[in-house]
Amino acid sequence: MNVPNELFYAKTHEWARKEGKKVYVGITDHAQHEITDIVHVELPEVGKKFSKSQPCAVVESVKSAFDIYSPVSGTVVEVNEELLSSPEIINQSPYEKGFFFVLEIENENELKELMSAEDYKKSL
Amino acid sequence: MNYIPVNEQDRKEMLDRIGVKSIEELLALQIPESLRAKKLNLPEGLSEQELSALFKNYAGKNKSNLVCFRGAGVYDHFVPSLVDEITGRSEFSTAYTPYQAEASQGTLQAIFEYQSMICELTGLDCANASMYDGATAVAEAVLLAVRTSRKNKIIISSGVNPEYLSVVETYTKNLDVEIIKIKIDEKTGALDKNVLQSMLSDDIGAVVVQSPNFFGVVEDMLSLSETAKNKNALFVTIVNPASLGILKTPCEYNADIAAGEGQVFGNRMHLGGSTFGFLAVKKALEWKIPGRVVGQTVDKNGKRGFVLTLQSREQHIRREKATSNICTNAALNAFAGCVYMACLGSSGIKELAETNISKARYAFNAIKKLEGFEPLFANSLFFNEFVFKTVKNVKKIEKALLKENILGPLNLGAFDKKYKNCLMFAVTEKRTKQEIDKLTDILNRA
Amino acid sequence: MNKLINEIRSNRNTDRVIKCDVPLDIEMDVRYKGQKSTNIPNLSENTLLRHFTNLSRRNYALSTTFYPLGSCTMKYNPVVNEKIAAFEEFSSVHPYQSEETVQGSLEIMYELEKSLCEVSGMDNFTLQPAAGAHGEYAGLLIIAGYFKSIKEKRTKIIVPDSAHGTNPASAALAGFEIISLKSDENGIVSPENLKAVLTKDVACMMMTVPNTLGVFEKNIAEISEILHQNGSLLYYDGANLNAVMGIVKPADIGFDVMHINLHKTFATPHGGGGPGAGPVGVKAFLKDFLPVPVIVKENNKFKISFGDKKKSIGKMKAFFGNFPVLLKACAYIKALGGAGLKEASEQAVLNANYVLSSLKDKVSIPAGSVCMHEFVLSSKGHLGDGVKTLDVAKKLLDYGYYAPTIYFPLIVEEAMMIEPTETESKQVLDEFTDVLLKIIEESVSNPEILHNAPVNTYVSRLNEVEAARKPKLHW
Repeated sequence: MNVPNELFYAKTHEWARKEGKKVYVGITDHAQHEITDIVHVELPEVGKKFSKSQPCAVVESVKSAFDIYSPVSGTVVEVNEELLSSPEIINQSPYEKGFFFVLEIENENELKELMSAEDYKKSL
Repeated sequence: MNYIPVNEQDRKEMLDRIGVKSIEELLALQIPESLRAKKLNLPEGLSEQELSALFKNYAGKNKSNLVCFRGAGVYDHFVPSLVDEITGRSEFSTAYTPYQAEASQGTLQAIFEYQSMICELTGLDCANASMYDGATAVAEAVLLAVRTSRKNKIIISSGVNPEYLSVVETYTKNLDVEIIKIKIDEKTGALDKNVLQSMLSDDIGAVVVQSPNFFGVVEDMLSLSETAKNKNALFVTIVNPASLGILKTPCEYNADIAAGEGQVFGNRMHLGGSTFGFLAVKKALEWKIPGRVVGQTVDKNGKRGFVLTLQSREQHIRREKATSNICTNAALNAFAGCVYMACLGSSGIKELAETNISKARYAFNAIKKLEGFEPLFANSLFFNEFVFKTVKNVKKIEKALLKENILGPLNLGAFDKKYKNCLMFAVTEKRTKQEIDKLTDILNRA
Repeated sequence: MNKLINEIRSNRNTDRVIKCDVPLDIEMDVRYKGQKSTNIPNLSENTLLRHFTNLSRRNYALSTTFYPLGSCTMKYNPVVNEKIAAFEEFSSVHPYQSEETVQGSLEIMYELEKSLCEVSGMDNFTLQPAAGAHGEYAGLLIIAGYFKSIKEKRTKIIVPDSAHGTNPASAALAGFEIISLKSDENGIVSPENLKAVLTKDVACMMMTVPNTLGVFEKNIAEISEILHQNGSLLYYDGANLNAVMGIVKPADIGFDVMHINLHKTFATPHGGGGPGAGPVGVKAFLKDFLPVPVIVKENNKFKISFGDKKKSIGKMKAFFGNFPVLLKACAYIKALGGAGLKEASEQAVLNANYVLSSLKDKVSIPAGSVCMHEFVLSSKGHLGDGVKTLDVAKKLLDYGYYAPTIYFPLIVEEAMMIEPTETESKQVLDEFTDVLLKIIEESVSNPEILHNAPVNTYVSRLNEVEAARKPKLHW
């Protein structure tokens, strides 16, 4: 299972990657594998604010649907619209092309409350 | 009668295998004695012959097969024999919802063809497999508009069928949705786009308009839609599919959602049910639509086949977050609609609409000439339904018509005092010139 | 052969629409006139008959095969009922005809209501809801209306985790929050678990009895007491009523509101997805909240009453309900009579236990070795390498059986839910059981044939992933 070292992880299987004030959010390789073939996502509205652990997106397979929780608090500044027409990208590239959205983070300390790659691996 | 195929000998062997002496013992193992019911106080069962006679007797208490000039949401159109022949096939009628796609290709392809024809008819991109009826289709359309617009205020025309308005009210009353009614103009029976304009604001999610409306008046959908769109509201339209062979279709005025009653296509009146509701949307809304949806795909060998799809919207997966609670819909009624549309074809659908409007206009013009009858909306366009105000006694008219086996116009005064002495006539293709002339004659003499 | 209707080439249809015997009069302003023509083919009658008849042959249906679809009660649909429902005296009446001209139809509805009251123990029914989920929704609106009328703010509904998805979905639509209640190790609701989640703002708990595992909720009396002590109500999901007709009356064991799926228990055909009917029954104190109109009997005449408009939840659908479905259910009850209904439930229980007894040593039965009218098995640990319940289901299709419900209830892994119903013979049950056991053996000896199943159906396994990723929803 691919768990990149530089990312932060939530218990609910989201990852967060910090780039300046921005945080990219997606789901882990483990999560996409468990969900199996992803057929649809619902993305949040740009401009919408979420607090940490609030449901903000949905990822769906043929026979199931899962909420995605915001790993940190922030405002959505970008969503990955490519996922709407090609949700399989999440299965193919969960950490790169398959990111869900980008948040402008409010409190950087929240990142530290997330798990490291090593801790996440252990939690699986 | 009894439909159990297990005899006493079988029963004994079955009980032996299970290892109990009686069914009673099986029940006693599971249900506390104190909860058991007393004997059902219902009459003894009947043989098939007795059953048929009993229902023939009930049937005789209806006054049926009347020459029908009544509509208001349910219409007396002709149903081709092929519709009964096909929908009566037990391979269709006794199947369940097609959960096992490979063993349900008949139902699935039939629904796919139904969805396709609804898309053809409305010009929209995605239709679901049906709703219970027109009223619930409209209520679901309202909820869909709320979900999509993410705004909870919806403007709905007071010209929408009152049965539909009631159901919308029921469906929204416990939710955070505000229904704002816009009145129709008393002179034209239609909506005024300037009034709509004045009611619109940024927090309105959608505008819901029926055309032809409850009173039969065709609305200026182009202007209304444009007015709604200018304020970023969705435009939801309720249409009579029988009218779409002549009137503008939802896509021609850029509607986002179309809903309506499908009874007019291949379903009998049956006291108003069962019928089917249709619901169609633009592509952008396809993942938000409620209910079953069938999609095309391929099997392992590349052969075309059909499956229930976009299922993660639905209650069996999404539970309380589903787009709707609907499970069982009105599949067989929608299938009747499908066979009906196939029977008519594009040319027949056009002909149907033209014949309806022509006969309705013929009747309208004849009644207009009668003394004591004034059209309520003299200069408005109608399709196959119109209203006259009369100075004559409406109860007497109804009686006189019924005596001649005619189900006359609907007395709108019974619904709303404002429309006292107003009679609403529906004239479908099924009515002959002779029947219309007879109606006119009785109205004249009444 | 596999043509869609728009792919059939033809330029002529059978003349369908009656000749217009008045002058054609179709002029109208261009603002209203449609410009686009629809692309629905014009086909002759024999072409269409062949097309649709061929489609019908690609269906497994109750009339062609055993259909042990758990929770759906696929019992025999009597043909005489179809014939009666098609009487023109019923099919040609308009919903706005006056009462005196539809006495026969009203009487049938009245009779059905009274019969449902007797079977369920409830005091009143509405026949308006068009399906089970629609009935649930109506029932929950009635409960919401009741609490509003006594000025109690109750915002939550408890739903066991074994419940049908429609329960939480209906509750959400009725404006409630959902508390999911975990079943105990026997698959039933335990009073202790209930107490742990019960708060003053719980409006009701929804229960299916017997539940979706086919288990009778033996603590129901205590559960009812706990809820009612709390001022909460108890809702009966009638999906499994076929197990208890004449054996237990829901109203007697503490339920206040219930719906009945007529297309399950009362043998009306499901039509490949509908129409159904979901009458809702209530105890007398909730009568005024029922949807309108209701049918009442006065001086031997049947009347359409709009009741207490202030309290009623309003209309659930247009008009009265799905009349032909109501009629067929009424005819079914009249045919069987009180004793016949009880025998139907007893036989349904016997048939389910018989199949269970033949399978219990070969698969896991999480809820134990006795059941009511259906049972759930788990194939986990009993199948060959990489073989899933889904594969077993698909292989059953190859043997000519419709598959049982699979992966439901959600609380059983690799679940398969079997409901034989009372209208199947011992021979059918024996043969089905033999085939199922054979498939389980094959899953070990030759797993490939299960992975590849079905091969005898019109299409082989379909690609559902692509269907959802790139939706093609019309021709």
